[in-house]
Amino acid sequence: MLDASPLLSAVGLVKAYRKHAINVPVLGGVDLDVHAGEFLSVVGASGSGKSTLLHLLGTLDRPDAGEVFLDGERIDNLPSERRDALRNQTFGFIFQFYHLLPELTALENVLIPRMIAHSVLGWWRARRELKRQAAELLDRVGLGHRLRHKPRELSGGEMQRAAIARALIGRPRVLLADEPTGNLDADTGAEIVRLLRDLNRQDGLTIVMVTHNLELVAETDRTVRLAAGRTEEAVLPGAV
Amino acid sequence: MYKLLLCWRYLLTRYLALVCIVSVMLGVATLIVVNSVMAGFSTKLKDRLHGLLSDIDVEAITYRGMDGLDEKMRRIAEDPFLGQEVEAMTPTMEVFAMLHFEINGEKILRPVRLIGIDAKGRARLGGFAEHLLNPENRADPSFELRGEARERWLREQQPMALPQRFPDPVSAPGAPPAPPPPEPSLFLPKGIILGYAIAHLRDKTADASKQDKDFRILNPGDEVVVSTLSGAQTADGLKLDPVSFRCAVVDYVKTEMSEYDANYVYMDLEDLQHLRTMHGRATSIQMKLKNYGGYSHARAVADVLQKKFPSYQASTWEDKQGALLAAIAVEKGILNVLLFMIVGVAGFGILAIFSMIVVEKTRDIGVLKALGASNGGVMKIFLGYGLLLGVVGATVGTGLGVAFTVYINEVEKFLSAVTGADIFPRSVYYFDKIPTDIQPASVLLVNLGAVLIAVLFSVMPALRAALLHPVRALRYE
Repeated sequence: MLDASPLLSAVGLVKAYRKHAINVPVLGGVDLDVHAGEFLSVVGASGSGKSTLLHLLGTLDRPDAGEVFLDGERIDNLPSERRDALRNQTFGFIFQFYHLLPELTALENVLIPRMIAHSVLGWWRARRELKRQAAELLDRVGLGHRLRHKPRELSGGEMQRAAIARALIGRPRVLLADEPTGNLDADTGAEIVRLLRDLNRQDGLTIVMVTHNLELVAETDRTVRLAAGRTEEAVLPGAV
Repeated sequence: MYKLLLCWRYLLTRYLALVCIVSVMLGVATLIVVNSVMAGFSTKLKDRLHGLLSDIDVEAITYRGMDGLDEKMRRIAEDPFLGQEVEAMTPTMEVFAMLHFEINGEKILRPVRLIGIDAKGRARLGGFAEHLLNPENRADPSFELRGEARERWLREQQPMALPQRFPDPVSAPGAPPAPPPPEPSLFLPKGIILGYAIAHLRDKTADASKQDKDFRILNPGDEVVVSTLSGAQTADGLKLDPVSFRCAVVDYVKTEMSEYDANYVYMDLEDLQHLRTMHGRATSIQMKLKNYGGYSHARAVADVLQKKFPSYQASTWEDKQGALLAAIAVEKGILNVLLFMIVGVAGFGILAIFSMIVVEKTRDIGVLKALGASNGGVMKIFLGYGLLLGVVGATVGTGLGVAFTVYINEVEKFLSAVTGADIFPRSVYYFDKIPTDIQPASVLLVNLGAVLIAVLFSVMPALRAALLHPVRALRYE
């Protein structure tokens, strides 16, 4: 598993936020390697910078210092169009609060990344195939019967499943999950993690999951602890 | 593609945005109604004016006017260019005069513009015969006392001349029949045609729905006296003397232009020449063109005439009414600017409401960026939203404005009935209906302007949305 070239790696990531003219350091030189096909969990206390690390890995934000590499190619300093394309095609995001667009149905929410990727004409040509793919994905995450429902008509677990389907529609190489179970009850949260586990095992999807729930990390291949702005390999009870 | 979908969904789900649509709609509708009504007034006014005035006239500004009318008209007709252009022409004499008449023993005096014309010749120029009230005169304009007018005049002024209904003399049987009574030799005065408003009073207190509010004070056949100046060329120069002329009302000209109906009086050119001792003279030659073809064409013809008759003034009807026409154009322009501010207000509404929507949608914007939407794409969502609001508002507004314009008379009637106020006082305008003219070009311009404003005012909120930092947007609570 620990082959020489990681799929995604962070080197010396530094990030600070400015709050009322005070610099709040969040990450102080984080190094992280994510290998292809790995299900990695990042744990840490609230405010330890887990989400920030995820945003930096997914080019949603730029580090103050340090570098992010994808397949050995630096991606944190790419022009914004390239980073937009990376987020659209290489990374899939899921969030604690699902972040589905309330105006759209589950199916449309899943299709949004493909709509972003296609022009109107391209969308029009490919729409049947894409809709079929989206419906299949929703079916796979157990929402086959909820295609036309708006987010407000779905339960928390269902919304997160829809969000996972949305993250997968672009066939990403890395799924970045930010506290995917943080807003769900224990059983539903466990189901979501099992779903991620299955995706990882069956499709070989690389997953980086941020969580503060130590029970969930049992399902993951490897756990990294984030503390005081740095990472450390954690050996947790039950970890593989 | 997501931009279109989101624009559309936002349009359907944000009821606040409907307020923007309504304000754009009202602005557009108001602009279209006002423009159409003003264009209607101005078109109708132009038509009327053009109908009343000859296309072009050559005018002498001196008191003595011009002579050699036949020779001048022949020169125009024989000119290779003018002969092609001019369809008809007629000499006209125009002078200020005083009209006096009696009603119930009271003398009434009115200043008028006295116009001497050849009735048939003037009719060929258009804008005269069709405005006459009596259908018989409309078909064959003349200053002759005929029909009703003749009878009334005879009854009032020469009752003895009327055919008397004496029983036929009884002849002795076998005797030759009595010879028919001799035709009475009648004196018939010269006829005069009055402007409608001179001979009628309008009851301004009458109900708006009442059709015939006018009270006739001068009937056909009533006697009126015209006084004006006559000039005789003597050894000491021109000697002016007041002269009077008794005549009888023959008909009325109802042009529905109060200015003309209240001031113009027509009589036969020869009678007027005689009255003013200006035999064979006139003050102008009026012309009708075969094809008016717009101002510049008419002006070109007038320029040729001007060269031919350098001592006179050649002008088109638009030259003569330039001030009025310019005033209408200016008025319309200013009104458009003012009314466009309504659409401007709608623009600020869009700005405010869009800013709110951007704040409300902050997290969604963050999500879209996380999913790979570019800043430009996010901006286009809101620009497209503004465009959509503008297009929908303008379209509905156009429908509303056009419908209102088409049914404006019904609306006016209804409003007058409900409020009890005469919204469109016909006595002021002399129009029976509110004239409207929906000009496609101006409707298009109003629409374009409204859509442009909607888009311009959504630029700022759209920029704000585009520049939102995705991480901060995602964290926004």
